[in-house]
Amino acid sequence: MAVKIRLRRLGQKKAPFYRIVVADSRSPRDGKCIEEIGTYDPTRDPSEYHVNEELAKKWLANGAQPTETVNRIFKATGIVK
Amino acid sequence: MIQSVDVKKKYLTSRILCYRGECNVEEKVEQAYLYDFYGELLNEHQRRIYEDFIFQDLSLGEIASCEGISRQGVHDLIKRCNKLLAGYEAKLHLVKKFLDARQKVEKIHFLIKEFKESQNEALIEEIEQISNRMIEEL
Repeated sequence: MAVKIRLRRLGQKKAPFYRIVVADSRSPRDGKCIEEIGTYDPTRDPSEYHVNEELAKKWLANGAQPTETVNRIFKATGIVK
Repeated sequence: MIQSVDVKKKYLTSRILCYRGECNVEEKVEQAYLYDFYGELLNEHQRRIYEDFIFQDLSLGEIASCEGISRQGVHDLIKRCNKLLAGYEAKLHLVKKFLDARQKVEKIHFLIKEFKESQNEALIEEIEQISNRMIEEL
C-alpha cells in the first residue's frame, strides 16, 4: 500500500495548526489517516514542532514517503539528515 | 519519545509569493494565511485545488490525478492563485495588519500578567502606549 506522511491543516481560520499524519496516498481526499505522528503549531513564537520520533522512524523504515514539507520538519527535528 | 525543536519563526511579509517547486514549511503557512483572508475571492475550482495543496499537503501529481488534469495544469493554477493572493495582500495588507495586531495583543497580555505580579505602574503606561499605537494604525 502506498503510504504517505503529510501535514494536515486543522484549527480555525487565521489560527493555523497542523498535524503530521500517515495516510494512504491512493485516496488522498477521503480525510482518513492511519496514524497521527506529530503536530506543528506556527502560531507560537518560535513555531513549535512535536514529532513522535519512534513512530516516524517506524513508518519511514516501512517505506512511507514524507512530503517535501514534512521532510523539512523531519530534518529540523533531526529524524532524517 | 517525544522530541520538540524550536525553529526560528519567519514573519510574514507582503512580498510577491512565487511557487518555485520547493516547499518551505513557513511558505505553506504563509500561503494558508493568505488563503484564509482572500480565499473567497478565488473561484470554486481554484479553491478546491488550492485547499488540497495548502491544507491537505497533497502533491501536484496527486491533485492532478484526482482532478483528471495534467500536473502542469495544477502547477500553473497554484502559481496563478499564489500571484492573485499575493496581489490582494500587496494592496490591502490585511494579513500583515492582523499579525501586527496579534503580536501587540500578545505583548499587552504579557504586560498585564507582569503587572499583576509586580504592581509596577510603568507597565500600565506601556500598555496604554501600545493600545494607542494600535488605534492609530487602524
